[in-house]
Amino acid sequence: MGYAETALDQKARTDLHRIGQAEILIGIPSFQSAHSIGQVVKACLLGLAKYFPERKGVVFIAEGGEADAVRKAVAALPMTQILEQSLLSPPEIPVEIVAADYLGRSGKGTAIRAILEAAGALNVQACAVVDSDLRSISPEWMELLITPILEKGFGFVTPYYCRHKYDGTITNLIAYPLTRALYGRRVRQPIGGDFGFSPHLAEVLVCRDVWDSDIARFGIDIWMTTVAMQEKFKICQSFLGAKIHEDKDPGKHLAPMFSQVVGTLFTLMGMYEPLWRDQKGSRPTAIFGFETEVTPKPVTVDVNNLVHQFESGVREHRDLWQKILEPTNYYKLMEVARGRGRHFELPTDVWVRSVYDFAVAFQGTVAPPELLLQALVPIYFAAVATFVEKTRQMDSRTAEAEVNEICEIFEELKPYLTARWQIIPKRRGAS
Amino acid sequence: MKKILVVDDEENIRLLLKEELEDEGYEVITAENAEAALRLIESSRPDLVTLDIKMPGEDGLMALREIRERDYDLPVILCSAYSTYQSDFSAVAADHYVVKSSEFTELKKKIREILNPDSA
Repeated sequence: MGYAETALDQKARTDLHRIGQAEILIGIPSFQSAHSIGQVVKACLLGLAKYFPERKGVVFIAEGGEADAVRKAVAALPMTQILEQSLLSPPEIPVEIVAADYLGRSGKGTAIRAILEAAGALNVQACAVVDSDLRSISPEWMELLITPILEKGFGFVTPYYCRHKYDGTITNLIAYPLTRALYGRRVRQPIGGDFGFSPHLAEVLVCRDVWDSDIARFGIDIWMTTVAMQEKFKICQSFLGAKIHEDKDPGKHLAPMFSQVVGTLFTLMGMYEPLWRDQKGSRPTAIFGFETEVTPKPVTVDVNNLVHQFESGVREHRDLWQKILEPTNYYKLMEVARGRGRHFELPTDVWVRSVYDFAVAFQGTVAPPELLLQALVPIYFAAVATFVEKTRQMDSRTAEAEVNEICEIFEELKPYLTARWQIIPKRRGAS
Repeated sequence: MKKILVVDDEENIRLLLKEELEDEGYEVITAENAEAALRLIESSRPDLVTLDIKMPGEDGLMALREIRERDYDLPVILCSAYSTYQSDFSAVAADHYVVKSSEFTELKKKIREILNPDSA
């Protein structure tokens, strides 16, 4: 094993040993979040007090370097007052809070590893993970993420958010459609970041030899979802309302995240090929919760910048594109590049074939993985620009039908992927 | 022979749909409400369910939720006279949503797509 034996530092191990056992663990992966974590911890504590007052709960914050500051921020929370304001009595068994610096490669994945280990150490019955910078989290999230595990026998709970049509373009244009087409399950937010899971799934995940890879950075969410699907855990979705976090314009902020998420997706395709190759169509997933009228905060997208970056990408990457893309697809992409003028549009089938071509090339030796992923980013920008133009007059709900159409094209063109996959000359050897 | 469970509170629709689907070569069983449907799913193990949304007692969306909890691999087609429920988030747990029409053309097409994907 090239990675640390454990992601729990001595303080965390001592604290968990002192606590002994618990029934529910809420994990918060955190990176220097002392300024924002109070709101999240407050929601966790209120949720545990309101919905699970008779169960022993632990909130475990896995910090990326500033655990002292996080501990101070948590200690400053006026808990009695917060409970009184919410008309709640203190839970029968007080909730314990542990904040510790995780050990190992910096990134969300290692923080999750520490949380999974904590779940095992405490022998919990259910576990949830919520992001540390959420502004829209509410106590109800605890019920929605934990109850399907505790009472309905689900192994993995994924979030179902109400998002603005331009929020989550990596999810909408690649992570959701590709996961759905490959593995045959419609999990709308496979990289949502907020999950519930059973101790059995925690055990399966923590034993995997991935903690020294990119998965330990930002590919962790899609990896967890994929493993849960492939290991046949019972999966459901919980409607959590709006997700409010930092605004991200795809053309300005999302390129690194795109590479990490898509790199993980492609790596997992190599690992799980026998399991997705023969899968046809897709099946829906159970959904829980109560839908409220939420108007998501609008996200602004600079379409001109996206198109400009696509054009720069043509100049920078066309030689590599020619090696990676199937010839007809390459020429269609060049037509899109030449046709700039009145109307910019990357046809969905060209986008889907490009993703499949790149997924195949990723398994071979055409280019180093990081270079290959960089070369896909401009095509992703073209797909985002097209989606934005197509849905400009639509509300977020109507735009969902467009996302569904994209998914259907990913499913329809899957035979194209499997045919191309069969002629990969040499695999990178992921296993 | 593939078995379809038709759930609708209107007897005429149940009979009509049973006849139409039997003509297509399916075995058809029927239920007039969600409770009866859930019992039949347990006892008769259908390959697909068509589920009316508006029914007295437990409605189709609630029944869908229970079906998904019990056996999430069972294909379900939601049927309604209205398209409005299509945007209800609970409807995403269905395989398809079909607006009812007198010819059942769309419904039969969706059933073929699910049960006979290679010949659809």
